[in-house]
Amino acid sequence: MTTALRALISNPNTAELELIARYGMQPEDPRRERLFQAFAQTGLPTRRMEAWKWTDFKAALGALDRPGSQSACDPLASDEALCFRFSPDGFEYPKDLPEGIHLFVKPEPQALGSAEDVPLGALAAALAGSKTRPGTLMIEVTATDLPRLHFAFGGEGEASFARVTIVVRPGAELTVSESYLGGAGFLSSVFEYSLQGDAKMNRTVYQRGADKETMAATALVQLEGESEYTQTSLAFGAKLARLETRLVHKEADAKATMNAAYLVGKGLHADITTHVRHGAQSCVTRQMTKGAVLDGGTGVFQGKFHVPRTAGQYTDADMQHKALLLEEGAVVFAKPELEIYADDVECAHGNTCGALDGDQLFYMRQRGIPERTARALLTEAFIAEALETAGDLKDILRHEASNWLAQS
Amino acid sequence: MDCCGGIDEHEDDCTDVKVKDSIDAGTVEAAKRLQSENYSAGFSTDIEMDMAPKGLSEDTIRFISAKKNEPEWLLEWRLAAYKRWLTMEEPTWAMVRYPKINYQDYYYYAAPKTGAKYESIDDVPKEILETYEKLGIPLREAEVLLGVEGAAETAATARETPRVAVDAVFDSVSVATTFRKELEKAGVIFMSISEAVHEYPDLVKKYLGTVVPQSDNFFATLNSAVFSDGTFVYVPKGVRCPMELSTYFRMNAENTGQFERTLIVCDEGAYVSYLEGCTAPMRDENQLHAAVVELVALEDAEIKYSTVQNWWPGDEDGKGGIYNFVTKRGDCRGDRSKISWTQVETGSAVTWKYPSCILRGDDSVGEFYSIAVTNGRQQADTGTKMIHLGKRTRSRIISKGISAGKSNNTYRGLVSVNKKADKARNFTQCDSLLIGDRCGAHTVPYVENRRADAQLEHEATTTKLSDDQLFYVRQRGIGEEEAVALLVNGFVREVLQELPMEFAVEAQSLLKVSLEGSVG
Repeated sequence: MTTALRALISNPNTAELELIARYGMQPEDPRRERLFQAFAQTGLPTRRMEAWKWTDFKAALGALDRPGSQSACDPLASDEALCFRFSPDGFEYPKDLPEGIHLFVKPEPQALGSAEDVPLGALAAALAGSKTRPGTLMIEVTATDLPRLHFAFGGEGEASFARVTIVVRPGAELTVSESYLGGAGFLSSVFEYSLQGDAKMNRTVYQRGADKETMAATALVQLEGESEYTQTSLAFGAKLARLETRLVHKEADAKATMNAAYLVGKGLHADITTHVRHGAQSCVTRQMTKGAVLDGGTGVFQGKFHVPRTAGQYTDADMQHKALLLEEGAVVFAKPELEIYADDVECAHGNTCGALDGDQLFYMRQRGIPERTARALLTEAFIAEALETAGDLKDILRHEASNWLAQS
Repeated sequence: MDCCGGIDEHEDDCTDVKVKDSIDAGTVEAAKRLQSENYSAGFSTDIEMDMAPKGLSEDTIRFISAKKNEPEWLLEWRLAAYKRWLTMEEPTWAMVRYPKINYQDYYYYAAPKTGAKYESIDDVPKEILETYEKLGIPLREAEVLLGVEGAAETAATARETPRVAVDAVFDSVSVATTFRKELEKAGVIFMSISEAVHEYPDLVKKYLGTVVPQSDNFFATLNSAVFSDGTFVYVPKGVRCPMELSTYFRMNAENTGQFERTLIVCDEGAYVSYLEGCTAPMRDENQLHAAVVELVALEDAEIKYSTVQNWWPGDEDGKGGIYNFVTKRGDCRGDRSKISWTQVETGSAVTWKYPSCILRGDDSVGEFYSIAVTNGRQQADTGTKMIHLGKRTRSRIISKGISAGKSNNTYRGLVSVNKKADKARNFTQCDSLLIGDRCGAHTVPYVENRRADAQLEHEATTTKLSDDQLFYVRQRGIGEEEAVALLVNGFVREVLQELPMEFAVEAQSLLKVSLEGSVG
């Protein structure tokens, strides 16, 4: 089987060969086989694939190595939250769960819808299980007023994979957060969120990484009934860091808000990718992504609204991406895309790129504020808009952004 | 079906198209007039043709080259392109879908047997004369168009300015080029590229393939191997070309591909405005059109390039029509040069076309104005690339896509700002309108920015850019919508009114369209 897979991936590099070897060590399972094949069809994504043209994993990840960097502190960890901790070799989870949260720790992998669209998600689902880690972590939520579920990814090692599936039943509400703290040479996680009628969810994603780490966090979100989904991400990048969300409005009148901010320093790369399918009538999507990039950093935004014929009628969707290039040497790539087959819809998209406004800087400096502080303040104000939706975690994210700006 | 391209929601059923109420009735009417049943240029001309053997091989290329009595270097150039083409794959990233093309199933050369130049109007084959008459060109103008010796002067004196010099390309050859003598007086070279290869080999050699290299892309490489004719323009230093130049492309023969190559060079401080029009007969088979257009603007030069593309779009059910795979690129090589593309796209079954500007010179300017209307089963994937390399380079993209019937219309554009492009500036606005519930409108804008002091705006900040202009127009008592239309459409309107040929009427009707009710 592994030989066949090697043939499937064209010119496999060391990392791909190591991934095939890891797969070969897993117990045989037809579901795992399908998942790994979905990955092997493309191998590690390269710039030749349209969806990865600016984030080339094959080039960045030559081999699975320990990066030699430590995990960052986790600002979202809290005693009040129910913490699930993943590391390359281990998994810890709270044993006492409140009523309304049902946990199923499955050793084996489960089938993943649209696995072909998310090669790194399929890989995560195929390789998540080990002696110490679950193949699939499944959580069912049936109540409101629950403590936040927090998933933290840290610890040092060569590679870390995770697969989590969360179903929020009709009328239930959930706050969830994910922290990607670095430490692993390669990390890939896949989260599936399914919101049923009237369910509500607020998800926050925090990502930090170093210049020898590559990571991809893939979220597959399905909205049914009149559910409401809110997502706020803050990414600081890594050698390559990609936060990807693929959301489907499956039933009428669902609402999604997806905001993100990226702050990227030298030698780092942050990619915010979203794909929204308006598969039901009268659904609403609001999306705001803001970025600020320093010399030697790369920010990527790819957004797509797909509005199918008839099903997508009366869609109301808006996508904005605004980026600041704080210094010469900063790079920003953007692609806000629309694919529309329904005629009675509103789909707006906007994209701007530029430097801080000279007039505003001048105004602040003439008030006696040093240029460095003025720049940090203006950038923070610019970024803050995208973090507003993070609920109780908003201030923590803002604080993190402001610390980064003060240090850079 | 073995297909290229990737649209996943093609319309296959026969449901009637419903148009929502908020769409302007005039717009619906204007789009309807462009439907294939109203295609007025769809007749064919029965004339004896000289054809290359069917199919594509080195022999075909040698045949074409020999027909044109080309120098050895050009044959080598073609053969090198052909070798390269054999190793290339047809691109599939565009949002168009069509059955796999059998490149051996086309004729790569077709020319009227009677030759290309005529001494007297009596020698002009009746069929060709009628073709131009039917296309709505007045007889005197047709005389001019057909290049009957002496007619140019007569027509020149008879007609008031502005005059338009025309190069008429009939299938694979240029049948006539008008006003050559008068243009020569100004130093402007305007002739078919086949003639230019003989008369100005140094100029052709110097510039051919420098903007669109032989190996640029699948279709451009195919063109480099088999290009048959096209127009060559050279405007010398400091000359403002005294009249509009124009090429009229007509595809006539069955199962042929047209592969024209146009090369326009504007030397320092020169100016030229060039118009291009295309029509083809209604045929059930798909015909292939893979053209290459190269523009070179040296220091302070300006090239204005306008296209009215009205190739046969195929019938309502998608039968027949032209596959239009075109590579158009302008190189603003000198400082302060300017290239401006304007296109009105109404024809072709499949369009794959991205007129681009390489803004190499400091302070150079690139512009792209486009109206693309698709009907029936047409598919258009069109847009532009603005590559900012020089300092303080500026570009502007205005694109309007209108989809009706069961068609798909995609805007695809790239704005790229290189590290050395200090203070580059771009403004992009693209609107799409869907007329009816069975069509698709798509937008794929790419932005690659490597300069902190670049200012790039896409759509969202329309008002920010034109605030002052808008305020000025509005304070004169003009309503907001009208003011925006005035500011955005002003240029397009101007160009369309200048169009000299039969399609001007159709193009003008496009002006009536309103984008009220647009989707994004």
